[in-house]
Amino acid sequence: MSTALHDQIRSFILENYLFTNDPSALALDDSLLGRGIVDSTGMLEIIYFIEEQLGVKVADQDMIPDNLDSVNRIAKYVQSKR
Amino acid sequence: MAASLLHTVIDHARRAPEASCLLWQQTRWTYGELNTAIASVAVRLQRLQLRSGDRVALLLRNCPQYVALSYGVFAAGGAVVPLNAQERASVLARQIEHSGCRVLAGDPHHPEWQRLQVALGSSDVQLLPVAITDDETSVEAFCDGAAAAVAEFAAVDMHALGMLIYTSGTTGRPKAVMLSHDNLRANTAAIVQYLALTSSDRGACVLPFHFSYGNSVLNTHLAAGASLLIEDNLAFPQVTLQRIADHGCTGFAGVPSTFTLLLGRTRLHDYDLKKLRYVTQAGGPMPTSITTRLREALPNAQLFVMYGQTEAAARITYLPPSMLETKLGSVGVPVADTQVTIRDAGDALVSTGQVGEICVRGPGVMLGYWADAEASQQALRGGWLRTGDLGHMDSDGFIYIDGRAVEMIKVGAFRVSPQEVEEAIASLSGVQEVAVTSQPDEVLGQSIKAVIVQAADASLDERAVKAHCRQYLATYKIPKTVEFAAALPRTASGKVQRFKLA
Repeated sequence: MSTALHDQIRSFILENYLFTNDPSALALDDSLLGRGIVDSTGMLEIIYFIEEQLGVKVADQDMIPDNLDSVNRIAKYVQSKR
Repeated sequence: MAASLLHTVIDHARRAPEASCLLWQQTRWTYGELNTAIASVAVRLQRLQLRSGDRVALLLRNCPQYVALSYGVFAAGGAVVPLNAQERASVLARQIEHSGCRVLAGDPHHPEWQRLQVALGSSDVQLLPVAITDDETSVEAFCDGAAAAVAEFAAVDMHALGMLIYTSGTTGRPKAVMLSHDNLRANTAAIVQYLALTSSDRGACVLPFHFSYGNSVLNTHLAAGASLLIEDNLAFPQVTLQRIADHGCTGFAGVPSTFTLLLGRTRLHDYDLKKLRYVTQAGGPMPTSITTRLREALPNAQLFVMYGQTEAAARITYLPPSMLETKLGSVGVPVADTQVTIRDAGDALVSTGQVGEICVRGPGVMLGYWADAEASQQALRGGWLRTGDLGHMDSDGFIYIDGRAVEMIKVGAFRVSPQEVEEAIASLSGVQEVAVTSQPDEVLGQSIKAVIVQAADASLDERAVKAHCRQYLATYKIPKTVEFAAALPRTASGKVQRFKLA
């Protein structure tokens, strides 16, 4: 299910890594690494986005693919921390 | 002549078939299993009627299957063409065509795989898909019935082409370094020697194998009979560090951005890294602050600062860790059997302390560039490799890097030709002129900046330019900054002054 949070995360990734505003370019379950959308530095930028724009501090032990490697995973993680 | 890399691995497999060789995710391959996997690749390539000297392109991220394919190509008498898994289909297709590959072996789940097949069109390149999903990592799944008993592999012609590595280059003129089996063997042996690698070691490799540094980390550990923990990215440094700790790794190789990422959001003290006895760093200069923090965080590990180039197989110099303080800023002394001189534009030797071009002679120096006699002659003059790097040598023979004689941007440790990025941008409708330069980047050392002059009726924006680049360029080659200008700064003769763009 797409929520405002999902849309905000997807928009950030579309704008900064796919350079488009077309939502169909990124499915909510797409692996950001598997599809080559972000690399190591891109993932670091996404963590900063979560902290600065979404207001959730990402603890060291939470920096794992299960929490960060798709729009759905990021949204689920952020919701669990709010 | 000394044994090839292939035969050294086979020898380890005979002596210690149960010894751990490759560790990846939940999988462990022993040397015996790697030997079986190599044999299965050789059988499959022979079925595809691969002939001696034929090139085989590899397109897959770091994984055990990559290793089996790479050594399997050697076993079948072919030459490996490791493709950059981050590149786009159009570039990959051009490289496959340029090198005349007979076979493309790769991961059918790779994001560019389908587009690459379309781009190759009606060419007669044969496909060898190799799935590397989590549930297909066993040797049995990889061999898939092709593991016929190959008791003996044919001898390797040590002077023959073993590997063809694309370094950079525009779409019009790709540049591929030709390395013989002996180039690879000699450079591997030199690295094994100064790192004192043995079968007790266990390295961790996050560097891509298609990159000469990653390739050398792989080859050196296999040559030593050591084991290697394979990682394919550093997106989750904490996960990687935990694996390094869990597996008791003794060595770790990185480029400056690797260490910046590791030290940025992680606390190395939180991990049990006491077995880590060495850390190597190459791929460009690392800020002293990072070096200092790394040494403080890993007091038991020796830090080897190194310098190299794909054109010299991988490694040219290393700084013995005991000299790190007294020769701070130096990349050290030449590796075994290798000579370095500093020369001026007229090929004359310069005096001690004077800056000139770093030139290299030794068994690791390439055969030349593939199908480019002119570039080969320019790079290999009088038996010396002209590296294009500027440097000087002190009175003790230690070498210092002072910059590049050739325009090249280094993003992370990847070399990017400004012309390649300019070509991609210039093909976008509305671009009248473009110039690309480097700008300082906190993590990557340098990032790419493009300055564009638009056509009179154009209305481009930054996003449109980046979106266009993404279609044709690997992610790390996409400009981080795009600016628009009324004109480009030029010399009186009309040459663009890139340094004024930064």
